Amino acid sequence: MVTRAMIRNSSLTSQSDVLRLAIPSKGILEDDTIGFLRGCGLPVDRSNPRQYRARLATLTGVEVTFQRASDIFAQVDEGNVELGITGYDIVAECRAEDDRVVVLMPELGFSQCSLVLAVPETWIDVWSIHDVAEICVSRRSKGQELRVATKYPNLARQYLYDHGVNYFMLVESSGALEAGPALGSADVIADLTSTGVTLRENRLKTVAGGTILTSEACLIANREELAKSPSKLERTRLVLEAMEAYLRARPFLSLTANVQGGTAESVARKIIAHGDVAGLRGPTVARVFPKSADDDEWFAVTVIVAENRLQEAVDALRRAGALDITSVRLSYVFESKAWSFEGLVRSLHGERADGGRG
Amino acid sequence: MEPLEITRVRGTNDVVPPSRAHQQSLEERLRDVFALYGYEPIDTPVLEPTDLFLRKSGEEIVARMYSFTHWNRNVCLRPEFTASVVRAYVSHLQDRPLPVRVQYAGPTFRYEKPQRMRHRQFTQVGIECIGADGPAADAEVLAAARHGIEAIGLKDWRVVIGHLGAVLQLLAQMGMEPHAQTLIIGAMEHLSRAPGEAGRVVQRLAALLGGDVVAGADESAGEDLVELLRSFGQDGATRVAAELLERANLRLEGGTRPPGEIIERLLHKAFRPDPTPALRRAIDFITRLQDLAGPPHETVPALRQLLAEFKLEDGPVREVERALECFDAYFDSPAPVQVDLSLARGLRYYTGLVFEIYDGEDNQLAGGGRYNDLVRALGGRGNVPACGFQYGLERVVAAVEREMAAPERVPAVAALVVPVDPKDYAAAARLAAALRAAGVASELDLRFRGLKANLRHADRERIPIVLFVGEKERSEGVVGLRDMRVFEEARLAPEDVVATVRRRLEAGVPSVAGPVG
Repeated sequence: MVTRAMIRNSSLTSQSDVLRLAIPSKGILEDDTIGFLRGCGLPVDRSNPRQYRARLATLTGVEVTFQRASDIFAQVDEGNVELGITGYDIVAECRAEDDRVVVLMPELGFSQCSLVLAVPETWIDVWSIHDVAEICVSRRSKGQELRVATKYPNLARQYLYDHGVNYFMLVESSGALEAGPALGSADVIADLTSTGVTLRENRLKTVAGGTILTSEACLIANREELAKSPSKLERTRLVLEAMEAYLRARPFLSLTANVQGGTAESVARKIIAHGDVAGLRGPTVARVFPKSADDDEWFAVTVIVAENRLQEAVDALRRAGALDITSVRLSYVFESKAWSFEGLVRSLHGERADGGRG
Repeated sequence: MEPLEITRVRGTNDVVPPSRAHQQSLEERLRDVFALYGYEPIDTPVLEPTDLFLRKSGEEIVARMYSFTHWNRNVCLRPEFTASVVRAYVSHLQDRPLPVRVQYAGPTFRYEKPQRMRHRQFTQVGIECIGADGPAADAEVLAAARHGIEAIGLKDWRVVIGHLGAVLQLLAQMGMEPHAQTLIIGAMEHLSRAPGEAGRVVQRLAALLGGDVVAGADESAGEDLVELLRSFGQDGATRVAAELLERANLRLEGGTRPPGEIIERLLHKAFRPDPTPALRRAIDFITRLQDLAGPPHETVPALRQLLAEFKLEDGPVREVERALECFDAYFDSPAPVQVDLSLARGLRYYTGLVFEIYDGEDNQLAGGGRYNDLVRALGGRGNVPACGFQYGLERVVAAVEREMAAPERVPAVAALVVPVDPKDYAAAARLAAALRAAGVASELDLRFRGLKANLRHADRERIPIVLFVGEKERSEGVVGLRDMRVFEEARLAPEDVVATVRRRLEAGVPSVAGPVG
């Protein structure tokens, strides 16, 4: 719970100790990020929606700033903010070998999309990236370049080189890329897609092997700024703990059921025998004190199951004789450590321990 | 707040004193050797149009270029010299009598993963011999390369000689398209580094040539269509495709390719054979060439047999043999030579003999070869055969430093002139000017450190002669001299200083930075 006192306290913290977190200021990405932070137990407390600064209601000493998603990488790299949430596509495009950015969590579980190479639907002779490479070669013999419209010149260039496409021109377009082929300003495009609807509407299709990058929202940090300040590092640990525990909990449900039996041991054995519902480590069995004394021994069994196996688990519990099966969503699962924080600490000691990708 | 230090760009190097002096002297010795063969200096811009290297240099190098768009023009930092030199030849030197012999040295740039002996900026020192064909010219370039290596005193080195003719002949015999040929030549270099990967290379190339398909749902649909069209025969398929599209009201307009081109390519794809068997044969041939690599007397007969087995002319082997004969004529002792017809260099414009020189630790010091198509590809008049090679200067320096004791620290100057007090500055400056006019490199103390500190400085930097003017000297109208090598002091009349210093430098312990001219 956030209290007025906490907010007062946080305003007392000296400015140089405040951990700054940049989040997207527009559209679905903004809504999803705010929703994600709320889910993590770090709700954003903004006095009014036009404000570009806010606080985390439950964690003092953190300032949230709203920025354009495309600017957040540079803001973090330059050290104007220590943490940022933005699309992995932007991070991958903006990275430099000597940048100061570390990807703390590559997959925050929202804003999923892919950067793909798309060609006109009318190219019925093209169904893989190798066809594109071949067309590029035959154009080259006529002295023409394949024109590729994209907002991701670095990723597109590297991808094309890696696939034997060397003679091309990148058309950097800031407007509606998808219209390029129809308007004749580009031959193919490299653009983001999440559902494929926009591509289809513009009579474009993806090609086999044409996924340049899969992306979702990620958390990045400036390693040098964090290395300088133990208090910012500690706040970063708290943020990471909350995000990890939330993401870890999301696929799971907690099931509780009443089972009749002789002893706690025999009930536990019955549940374990139906292995599917044994939970993360094993069932928790607790004595139930019935309302009427003449009832037999009853026990409450609690297990954790993956959401996509809920129905199986319910059936298994029934077979074990369970009644009154209830389910609650887990909010958080904490492990012994925040693993992404361990990675960050290693990275501050010189290892480049990025969060898995890139 | 203190301003942050700015570090150099990754993969580049500062060459600071005294390393630069050593590097420069090696560069000059290599270039002096080139001059002995009649190669005249040429220089070309570091910045070139990107197109220059797209023409013929090959995929690998294009993907590693520093290229960028500046005010809507595609430019790049040159990744190598040969294409630039040929471009310059085409614009300025085509009317000269052939061959045109030029030499150059300068920085080149490639965006590669920096590692030991591999930097993103490196210095090439090389020659191009434009307008001479055959073993005689190949041998001259080889001889100049060996001559330079020996001139700088390297003992532990070897030459690997190859010839692209064998592989190119096989590819032409199998009717491979130019694109496929380029890809295979590109794979040769990879194979030489990772010999066990022949199978993987075939697979990758087959995929790039549209033979093997990437797994995916779209693929199988495409394959079915191709199967179906194939069953109609070529003519039938064209008619069927056109009619189907018309009836389905499927218009192919709207993209940037004309519908005719799309149908034509679709059918071309349907009817062309799977490239995999041809690729397998080519890669098998390359692997066997590689297995045969060795000293000429062993390798050459075995190569003849292999070429006969593949029904190929032995022209390339004969050319290597004759080039080696010519090469041997230049020197009293035979060179450590290995023949390896699977040798392919990182560049795609080579057409004939190619070679590389390695040091004792297998670092490549130099490489080059014959490129008979490049002049025409860059817009030159007619077929002008050419060949050339380059040293990688940084690697040459490293090899020299490894093989030989570190060069003795050479003092930057022969004399140190010390004004003891600012009042003595004018007299000291006049003295230094007189020495310099006589060709004696002289350092003038600018910090007025006093005589004692200056003597320490001279001792540390091994400056042989110290001249000083202080209060005493000023009042007596003389100049003090200390010969650091023999701990002698003298007092000289100003007009005698230059002659005395020169005499001492000429007579005394030899000093590199002594009088010149």
